[in-house]
Amino acid sequence: MEAYRLGVKVFVEPPAASGALRSEEFIPVFHRWIQNRRLAETLIDVADYGHVHQGPGVVLIGHAANYALDFDEGLPGLLYVRKRPAEGAFAERLAETFRAALHAARLLEEEPGLAGKLRFGAARIRFRIHDRLLAPNGSATLAAVRPALEAIGARVHGGAAVTLHPLFEDPRALFTVDVVGPGALDVATAEARLGGGT
Amino acid sequence: MQALTWKDKLAGRVSEPLGREIDIFETEIGLRKQGKMEEKLFAETRLRRGVYGQRYDNGQRHDGIASQTLSYPSGELTKGPMTLWDAPGMQRIKIPYGVLTADQMEVLAEVAEEYSDAILHVTTRQDLQLHFVHVEDTPDIMRRLAAVGITTREACGNTVRNVTACPYAGVCGDESFDTTPYAQALTYFLLGHQDAQDFGRKFKIALSGCRQHACALVNMHDLGVIACRRPVPGNSDGREERGFEVYVGGGLGSVPHQAKLLLEFVPEGELLPTAQAVARVFARLGEKKNRQRARLKFLIARLGVEEFKRLVIEERARLPLDRRWTAFLPEGEGDLAGVDRPRKPGAPLGPGARPEGFEAWHKTNVRPQKQPGYAVVTVRLPLGDLTSRQMRGLANLARRFTGDTLTRPLGVAEAGAEAPRGPYGSVRATVEQNIALRWVPEAELPALYQELVALGLGMAGAGTIADITACPGTDTCKLGISSSRGLGAELSHHLAAREHDAAVAGLHIKMSGCFNACGQHHIADIGFLGVSRNVGGRRVPHFQLVVGGQWTENAGSYGLAVGAIPSKRIPEVVDRVTGLYTRERLAGESFQAFIRRIGKAALRTLVEDLLEVPPYEQDPGFYSDWGDPREYTIGDLGVGECAGEVVSPVHFGLAASEREAFEALLHLDQGRPEEAARLAYTAMLTAARTLVRLQYLDVSEEPDEIANEFRTRLVDTRLFADPYAGDKFAQYFLRVHSRSAAGGGGGGEMTAERAHRRIEEAQLFIEAAHACYDRMTQTRGA
Repeated sequence: MEAYRLGVKVFVEPPAASGALRSEEFIPVFHRWIQNRRLAETLIDVADYGHVHQGPGVVLIGHAANYALDFDEGLPGLLYVRKRPAEGAFAERLAETFRAALHAARLLEEEPGLAGKLRFGAARIRFRIHDRLLAPNGSATLAAVRPALEAIGARVHGGAAVTLHPLFEDPRALFTVDVVGPGALDVATAEARLGGGT
Repeated sequence: MQALTWKDKLAGRVSEPLGREIDIFETEIGLRKQGKMEEKLFAETRLRRGVYGQRYDNGQRHDGIASQTLSYPSGELTKGPMTLWDAPGMQRIKIPYGVLTADQMEVLAEVAEEYSDAILHVTTRQDLQLHFVHVEDTPDIMRRLAAVGITTREACGNTVRNVTACPYAGVCGDESFDTTPYAQALTYFLLGHQDAQDFGRKFKIALSGCRQHACALVNMHDLGVIACRRPVPGNSDGREERGFEVYVGGGLGSVPHQAKLLLEFVPEGELLPTAQAVARVFARLGEKKNRQRARLKFLIARLGVEEFKRLVIEERARLPLDRRWTAFLPEGEGDLAGVDRPRKPGAPLGPGARPEGFEAWHKTNVRPQKQPGYAVVTVRLPLGDLTSRQMRGLANLARRFTGDTLTRPLGVAEAGAEAPRGPYGSVRATVEQNIALRWVPEAELPALYQELVALGLGMAGAGTIADITACPGTDTCKLGISSSRGLGAELSHHLAAREHDAAVAGLHIKMSGCFNACGQHHIADIGFLGVSRNVGGRRVPHFQLVVGGQWTENAGSYGLAVGAIPSKRIPEVVDRVTGLYTRERLAGESFQAFIRRIGKAALRTLVEDLLEVPPYEQDPGFYSDWGDPREYTIGDLGVGECAGEVVSPVHFGLAASEREAFEALLHLDQGRPEEAARLAYTAMLTAARTLVRLQYLDVSEEPDEIANEFRTRLVDTRLFADPYAGDKFAQYFLRVHSRSAAGGGGGGEMTAERAHRRIEEAQLFIEAAHACYDRMTQTRGA
């Protein structure tokens, strides 16, 4: 799989997921991340789409990737989308995408203003490929990415097998699969299993 | 094995000429990356394809604490002067007259999702824009759009920009006739036309079906036409011919000009050659070196409309015949009406239960078509934004409720191509940054409403005071001074939570982040123009309150600023102004008439206490903009004694100049244009002298000395030069001064229109003086 526009969304868990989350709270957080160089990459600006229904919410615009407190389909979560080409084979790029999303989600959980109010879960992680040319939303793409997705899912879940739930209802949509593990999982543990952390 | 490319995949679906154009652009991208193409040339070639720069693309961004360098993999490689290669940019997509088909909407949704941030932005000129796009992704965006009949060619640059037209054309009961086929013919005819390639500046065209409404804003366009009919000359059988009133030289920008009537009636078959003749005269005689004076409005101001008319008529007579002038017209005396036709049977809205919220939505978002049984539904987009998912959802609704199943586009407008006749897509972007769904059977409105609600697009209030228009401002625009979108979001929220009587609910609020006026604040009932002020050594975002503009009658008049208000006070200002209008208007009195009656002085008094900015220590919230927690100040300005000593007299002087400009406004309102113009000039003198005194305390009050010192110390040294507008604002002052020194007001009688323009220039000169002072203090503080 040549595609590099990979996206991973880590969902917010209740009770924050059930409407208590205000996107504007994340604007100063993302601005601070730029100020404090919280992520080891070029971060450019913060875009506020809080006025749009179930939109990308607040987006931390980077050069190579965007991070968003995303509200698509009414399911809040941290969405990471790689925009520029990345090094390595697909499995490596996939692992890096998962790690980057989990890392950002953990950092958000640790934000002083959000601590205790916001928790992400890694039991179900949404994977997307933002490339309809190389990855149309259908079974052929699923077949192509299944081995790598199952492998990364197993790593995240400490070796346990995961289930892939494709979202194929709308062929016009981006290729989307939910990677579902056997039980609850916090993002710090998941990140650590991918070699991330601190 | 080579990976599949969009070029391969779309082979045969993109026309050969357009595909070649995109290939050339892709090659140019490669050449520029290798340093084999000069950056200015590359900049122009990308701009002509709608590939714009965006804020911070010079690689510097103030993060609220300090200015930081943005580090990119391509390093110092640029895609234009001071525009780094890797910096994200904006892709403008021309949507001629705002017409979209369902399949086009789907592709737009796709490219937003893959190359941008899944947001599509509708502009005030019926374009769509994607933000945060990498230049290397743009050829594939163009190919995918081209495959569904959309081109980005000439979306920017010194070209004929998107041709706009009333989104209700063909379905509005007040129009003379449907202007869509004519808009389409103009689009095809002028795209890439050799006579439209040598302009000194952009050229905007609008078509309206009537005089009275605002839908096409003819008066603010370089070339605007209004559909009309007249009896066929020489016939007494009552037959009429179609044609257009032609207006030229309108424009907003820093100093707005109302368009002038060029020709009272141009028969339909003469529309294209007339436009061609106007383009030729503009290309031949328009300013080329000084882009600040290069729009058509300046040429017409210089020549006078009668001389311009003579030149156009002369040019028209010389044009070689082109069959495209009339190829789009029906044979004989046939009519183009009905080219856009329903695809589903119409049916009236019957009795029965309605979904919750339907009545309020129906009142503001639905208008009947002239075709019985059909309605146009306006989908209100907050700040002109919608997500890719919503765009796909709207495409579904267009198919289901309007029967829009056009799978083959109308063909891509290509240089030399003939415009096909309809049918057209049933969806249109509007100049109020909304989307209109046409040909909806009225009986299906409740079901459509429920579907829109499910998409998060069921908001009532289209075209009301809460439906705010805003340009991108500091969010993404390089030129933005204040956050127009931040304020727009706040005001929209603020106003939606309040009850308004019908007169207030019908007002329009528009805001621009800078003097370029992309948010069209001049023509709003209540407009806001982003500026900044230095308070105690820190910058504070402000907006000038602009009133007196007229949205209807195709942007019938332009408003003027009455004072700069701290951004965080704007919601309160709106409450006070609308409250006063509610309490004190006369029966049936329009907002414009109300403002004229009470006078701008009363309005100023109403908001006077809101002009003050509390000290930073007391309320730091004033020192950041809406939706952006960063401190607004650029650079860490000291608040020490030295700065304090400098600040005080400068503030005093600039405040005095603002007062004088405001008094000029009052004179204008009271029918004294001579006095208004004189005071506007005095205001400029005061501001200029204030700045000169920073370097030369003993400058006299003699106008010649002030002007000479100003030129030597601030213009020649480039201290006054605006980073983007250059010497434009300085020239406003120096030009007026030279006319005054020569003993005249610039030749001819001082009309209200000229005085109006003089006041605009004075206000902008004073704003530039504020900005200049800010730059000077930063330099000192650094």
